[in-house]
Amino acid sequence: MSEPRLKIALTKGRVETQVLPLLEQAGVDCSLVRHKQRRLIFDSTTQPYEFILAKGPDVTTFLERGAADIGIVGSDILVEHQSTQYELLDLGVGQCQFVLASTAAFDPQAPQRKIIGTKYPLITKRYFDRLGQDVEIIKIEGSVELAPLTGLADAIVDITETGTTIRENHLQIYDYLQPVSTRLVVNRLALKQHQTAIFSLVDQLAAVVNANAEKEVSQL
Amino acid sequence: MLSNLLPLGTRDEFGRQAATKQQLISVIQAHFKQRGLAPIATPLLENQAVFDPYQMGNTQLYRLLDPEGQTLVLRPDMTLPIARFLSATKVPLPQKFSYVGDIFRVSRRLSGSYNQMTQAGVELIGYPSLKAELECLAIANQLSAELIDDEVEIELGDAQFVQQVVATLTADAAEQTAIKQALFNKQVPQYEALIAAYQDQALYPFLQQWPRLFGNPARIFKQLAAASLPTAVDNAIARLKTVVRWMQTTMPEQAVSIDLSSQAPQKYYTGLTFRGYSQAGAGYLFSGGRYDQLLANFQATSEPAVGMGLDLDLLTELALKQAVPTPRQLIYFRPAQWSQAERLLLKYQQASLSLADNVAAAKQEAAQMGATLIDLTEGDLDE
Repeated sequence: MSEPRLKIALTKGRVETQVLPLLEQAGVDCSLVRHKQRRLIFDSTTQPYEFILAKGPDVTTFLERGAADIGIVGSDILVEHQSTQYELLDLGVGQCQFVLASTAAFDPQAPQRKIIGTKYPLITKRYFDRLGQDVEIIKIEGSVELAPLTGLADAIVDITETGTTIRENHLQIYDYLQPVSTRLVVNRLALKQHQTAIFSLVDQLAAVVNANAEKEVSQL
Repeated sequence: MLSNLLPLGTRDEFGRQAATKQQLISVIQAHFKQRGLAPIATPLLENQAVFDPYQMGNTQLYRLLDPEGQTLVLRPDMTLPIARFLSATKVPLPQKFSYVGDIFRVSRRLSGSYNQMTQAGVELIGYPSLKAELECLAIANQLSAELIDDEVEIELGDAQFVQQVVATLTADAAEQTAIKQALFNKQVPQYEALIAAYQDQALYPFLQQWPRLFGNPARIFKQLAAASLPTAVDNAIARLKTVVRWMQTTMPEQAVSIDLSSQAPQKYYTGLTFRGYSQAGAGYLFSGGRYDQLLANFQATSEPAVGMGLDLDLLTELALKQAVPTPRQLIYFRPAQWSQAERLLLKYQQASLSLADNVAAAKQEAAQMGATLIDLTEGDLDE
């Protein structure tokens, strides 16, 4: 039987930039993706991998439908899109944090039904459910910081890496929700169909992630 | 205009796809009949209470109100209605049932999934013997060979194994649920964080390997033998060994594996579970297992039972990929030649009668169908 070809759906943009070096350190030839021009699908001629570049939410859809075997995507998107696939590895990159933020005038304890702007309505709902608060959620597709500044919402729930964008928009952080990082996710049936090949890649990547983490600690 | 639009998650089936599905159904039904299974058909509509005990995971149901204001659902499962039927009718047991029908589950909007699915299956009710599981496996093995060109692998599991092991780690029900969910969903970073609390226990090396406890039976049994497992799982392991040995002897060509790290296909399973998949399919072709407590939801006493469902939509998809289209014929004739045309119809596998009034229209119809035209009006064809 010929070696199985694994379809890897990679979130394009920042995740792609941060994960390609890890894949290369793990011995995966990513030269086609590095020289992608405008292409979105790459079939390696030297290794049993096919890469697909897609937006994060679409990576979860490819995985759910079995159109990709492996997905590399942020945990924020996995939670928000209620992914049911196997999350085998935290790649340790793309680390950021969900926060509740607003202007200085915001009072989290104010006795009123708050209006919250967010790209992540499910995560926001779960957070306020845990607090026992009923809030009105407005779905915003981008530049969420605008919502409290324009009066569209009382506060926002969004992810931040360093808090710089929040501070530059004269907002402040009122609470920290769950941390976020980039994960390697595998389609449930693909793991059964290509068990050896997938675990081999996961183990190589895990070794790279651990070595990088140790290097960072030793440089402190 | 919305009058000709389909609701989200539904589809029409016609032509080759519908014909292939019908063909598969007739092969499966013939197999069930030959084994002496009694056909059963339950209504598409059931009272919502029939499905209450199991909530069907995150499955969303189609709900509607009957004229009295009672909530009805389009059935999301075929087994629970059969349990409801047995409880209501007191049909003497044991019984072997077979069914073919549609189930309805509302999937995530715009995800590409369909909400109406066709299943065929068997329910062997009133049989405590392992022979009931073995008959289901024999059906799965024979139908796989009959319907699928690719090799199908049968994966065995046990519905109680994970709970039995987790219960020895902690008495805290919330902690047990968290570990099970992380294991079942192979959320490995979260799972590793949860098991870190048990580093001092003899079971810890096993816990570390657990998310990968699936695959070749010999390897899995070796891993199990090396682990400090609670005695509560001894019966499950012994049963799996018995079944693997039986399969290797009875159906030596059948690929078999074990998975003791996944959730049972349905929450109501209580013992051995099994699923089948091929390299080509994007889902499980069939799944089943023992469910000895199901009738207890409808009556005071329970009954031992084993069931299995086949995904006819996935089987159809695979059959369409592997099938070589057979040539089709269209028979054009005058009404006076009807008997002659009927005889030809019997002679060919894929022929149909042209109802056109003239040969030009018949030629056009044949071209549209991709069929060869047999023109009896020319008198140039010798039967």
